Amino acid sequence: MFKDFLEHIFPRLILEKNLRITYTFCFGGLAFTAFMLLVVSGLLLLFYYQPSPEKAFESILFLESSVPGGRFVRSLHRLTSHALLVLIFLHTLRVILTGAYRKPRELNWVIGFFILASAVFGAYTGYLLPMDQLAFWGTHTGMELIGTAPFGEMIGHFLVPDEVGRPVSLLRFYTLHIAVIPLTIAILCFLHFYRIRHDKGVLPYL
Amino acid sequence: MEKAGKSRRRFLKAVAFVIAAGLLLWKFLVPKIAKKKPLLRVAKADIPAGGALVFRKSRVAVVKKGDDIYALSLACTHLGCTVNVTTREFVCPCHGSIFGRRGEVLKGPADRPLERLAVAEHGEFIVVLS
Repeated sequence: MFKDFLEHIFPRLILEKNLRITYTFCFGGLAFTAFMLLVVSGLLLLFYYQPSPEKAFESILFLESSVPGGRFVRSLHRLTSHALLVLIFLHTLRVILTGAYRKPRELNWVIGFFILASAVFGAYTGYLLPMDQLAFWGTHTGMELIGTAPFGEMIGHFLVPDEVGRPVSLLRFYTLHIAVIPLTIAILCFLHFYRIRHDKGVLPYL
Repeated sequence: MEKAGKSRRRFLKAVAFVIAAGLLLWKFLVPKIAKKKPLLRVAKADIPAGGALVFRKSRVAVVKKGDDIYALSLACTHLGCTVNVTTREFVCPCHGSIFGRRGEVLKGPADRPLERLAVAEHGEFIVVLS
């Protein structure tokens, strides 16, 4: 199974005419690049961020004022996260307009949807981490919204066992943001790529 | 021969890239954290009880309140003007911010209290650190 998986990650051959940029605009590839950039810049931020309500904002002030390149790395992480969402949505739009969601590739559409949902969730959990006023009230708004959804209260109890911005909920958002969600996205991405190769028989390209 | 030259060039480029990236990473991971330097040395006896000793040049007021001695930066937290010291409070001449004896904001536009500087006791002397 693993061998089969690895063999499908990279294509055996590609037709040159199918690489024309105007067909896919490489939105998916760009989105994955943004994801990798987020992993790298996020890893650097981990060296300075302290996930406790008292220390979080302070550690970011320290990062921005005293660390060479700290502000750059943080801005990069923030801007790339915006870029990732924009690119995923453009990719989704392209998939809809070219009909790439149709049989027999419907499974990849579903996987892609879960990647989109994970990315949105990742952006939301990352929003609280700076613990400034915008983060705090933004997350409050988000939790109120989640509360109105079906099973919203259950999800709310899981995400915020104490209160928004209190130690346990901040730690929970942190864990989700730096470990659970990136891992989920990475696994789903590779499944996504595997399915592309796997379904190549029916593609007009590849 | 040509092939060997190309691969050597590529190798050197890779080495240069790794070194440059490593240096940047090192700078990021090992920031120079400014050590606190002594700014002023004041004899405890010189500070009037319940009053303040003002050092306009270094923009510091050393305040004594009961047994508590603390140093306040005289830079207004609004835009950095030097505040005037009156008998009761600190008044900023630029935009009229007023701070209390402990540095707390009594009137805007400043929204943060005056910065407290660290002090160290050395026997009969107080050393203000910046």
